[in-house]
Amino acid sequence: MWFGTILAAVGLFLGLFIGLKVPIVLPESYAPYLGLAVLAALDSVFGGIRAGMEDHFDNTVFLSGFFANALFAAGLAYIGERLGVPLSTAAVVAFGVRLFQNLAIIRRHLLKK
Amino acid sequence: MKIKGYHWAIGLVAVLLGIMLAVQFQMNSSLQKNLSSERTEKLTQQIEQKKMALEKLQARVEEMRQKLDEATARPELGRLKVQLDKVGIMAGTVPVVGPGIEVTLNDSNVALQPGQNPNLYVLHDEDVLKVLNELKAAGAEALAINDQRLIATSEIRCIGPTILTNGNKRLAAPFVITAIGNPDTLYNALFMKGGVAEQLKDWGIQVSASKMNEVIISAYSGAISYEYGNGGDKA
Repeated sequence: MWFGTILAAVGLFLGLFIGLKVPIVLPESYAPYLGLAVLAALDSVFGGIRAGMEDHFDNTVFLSGFFANALFAAGLAYIGERLGVPLSTAAVVAFGVRLFQNLAIIRRHLLKK
Repeated sequence: MKIKGYHWAIGLVAVLLGIMLAVQFQMNSSLQKNLSSERTEKLTQQIEQKKMALEKLQARVEEMRQKLDEATARPELGRLKVQLDKVGIMAGTVPVVGPGIEVTLNDSNVALQPGQNPNLYVLHDEDVLKVLNELKAAGAEALAINDQRLIATSEIRCIGPTILTNGNKRLAAPFVITAIGNPDTLYNALFMKGGVAEQLKDWGIQVSASKMNEVIISAYSGAISYEYGNGGDKA
């Protein structure tokens, strides 16, 4: 468990470092989609932390959720943009609510310890 | 400690999340730099303010000029006033009334054939300059274009579809040039055989003029300031 936490922290900093140092240029029009993907990924990560605390962390569920959620969020937002339906708002609300729920549950688990 | 499979997954996910966060952060900050609508608004406001200030200053110039006129109206200054009037006409600081002509210039109304250069059929700053020059040569004493008094330093410049004169006055076609002088001389100078009007008419540009018994040309309204030149005793 602790090893996993350290690994995650190191990985996160490594990723941040790479992202800030390497000039990855994406067209500005992709900004909203990447933003949604980030939101979905964050949601998956907090979901994973919660599952870890509840001792039913499943690697496959976590990994598939991370990638699928991010891709679907961006994809749905793209389709919504084409159709003129603001699906990105729906994704923001859905993932936002789940994010805060997960955070609340994590907080309670931490408090119980 | 044994590294299990899911440790790799967590590490990978963490690295990916970090990259995504960083890229998104950078994109967002660069987006905000480009959001210039606020800046545009600010600049527009500034322009408005400056315009208002300009108007106020213009009003003050008028006021002070009037005061100057009042001061020169005193009897002992009569001789000087005559001279001042002459110099004023020359410099454009006083309105002028007298016989003259009114010339109207406008773009060609010839229908363009495909492939023809529309530039050839449009009134240019050079055409206006030619007309003004001809009028000056024919003895015009005061000149104005679209009610803008032309003085010694007045320019006729092309800026896009309009012309610029007196520093910041934009004029658009049709141009009405008023000139004070001998109406017949002025008219004939423009419309003589092979003259300016004929050349312009070749391109379909509309030139018309009417002789008038009384032409009123208003005074130059801009500021008069000399930064570099010194006159009078210093010269």
